[in-house]
Amino acid sequence: VLNVPGYSVWPLIGSIGAFLITSSSVFWWHNGFSWLFLVSFFVVLGTMFFWWRDIVNEGFLGNHTVSFNSYLQSGIILFILSEVVFFGSFFWGFFHMCWAPAEELGFCWPPYSFEEVIIDPFSVPLLNTIILLSSGVTVTACHFFILVSENNNNWFLGAVFWGVTIFLGVVFLFLQVEEYAESYLSFNSSVYGSAFFILTGFHGLHVTIGAIALSVVFFRFLTKSFSNFDHVGFEGAAWYWHFVDVVWLFLFIFVYWLGAPV
Amino acid sequence: PITGKLTAPPYDPRFPNMNKTRMCWQNFVDYHRCVNKFGEEHKPCAWFQWVYKKICPNEWHERWQERVDDDAFAGRLK
Repeated sequence: VLNVPGYSVWPLIGSIGAFLITSSSVFWWHNGFSWLFLVSFFVVLGTMFFWWRDIVNEGFLGNHTVSFNSYLQSGIILFILSEVVFFGSFFWGFFHMCWAPAEELGFCWPPYSFEEVIIDPFSVPLLNTIILLSSGVTVTACHFFILVSENNNNWFLGAVFWGVTIFLGVVFLFLQVEEYAESYLSFNSSVYGSAFFILTGFHGLHVTIGAIALSVVFFRFLTKSFSNFDHVGFEGAAWYWHFVDVVWLFLFIFVYWLGAPV
Repeated sequence: PITGKLTAPPYDPRFPNMNKTRMCWQNFVDYHRCVNKFGEEHKPCAWFQWVYKKICPNEWHERWQERVDDDAFAGRLK
């Protein structure tokens, strides 16, 4: 007998909300602000809250056996895969432009006369790379301390590394915001600016989402929802954080460094 | 301009493909670089102009010429 929880209304509502968010965004870009966007944004946010609250409550009811947890992990991995192809589409556009530059750019990449506006990859972006790689290390260390703690004893070191991870994520975001504010490059600085900002902008959004996920899971950890063998929520947040780190590595190598020779 | 010729620009092995966009652009750019370096009266520069006027669509080289006059052309002409 498979351990399957009961029917839930949230997948349907979540998918309606996701569809409305994307289509109302397109309507916004063409026709001006759309209230439907605000409504659908809160629908999606609410779905996240209620759906995952249901999962947490099912866990307290005893549904989260070891084999059941593998289903939850598969779901999380599939979601991260969908994010991979989401970023893949923007990377495709970027490579399409930079490997065969068009006449309007002067048949060169970066576009003609862009030398002064591109960001030096070995100043702040390199620092950001080090920050994110270190946060990957600290989140793994945190996982280790959770695994070796018993009955939530010796959890203190896990909590410390957890806090450091979130702190590093916030520092990264702060540095990116500073870069955006100080840069002479803008979204409509030809296709170079568009590609750069859509990639780094969505990446920053995903770092924000990852930091929020880690914070929520931290709160659950501090309120003793996890044990050293059942912490799927933490693993999901940690995987998401590693995914965000890998996307940044691709960004740093192909967009900041190789895509902008000086 | 070279008068009396009824031929087309010769095969340029730098641009072997059927799509001659790059050949048009390169000759346009080379004409302006030639003129900027050696002056408008320099006869060999007229070769590049003949080539690009023959193979470029008029829309293209007229649009680029407007941009050159506005100092807004996306290419190094100096």
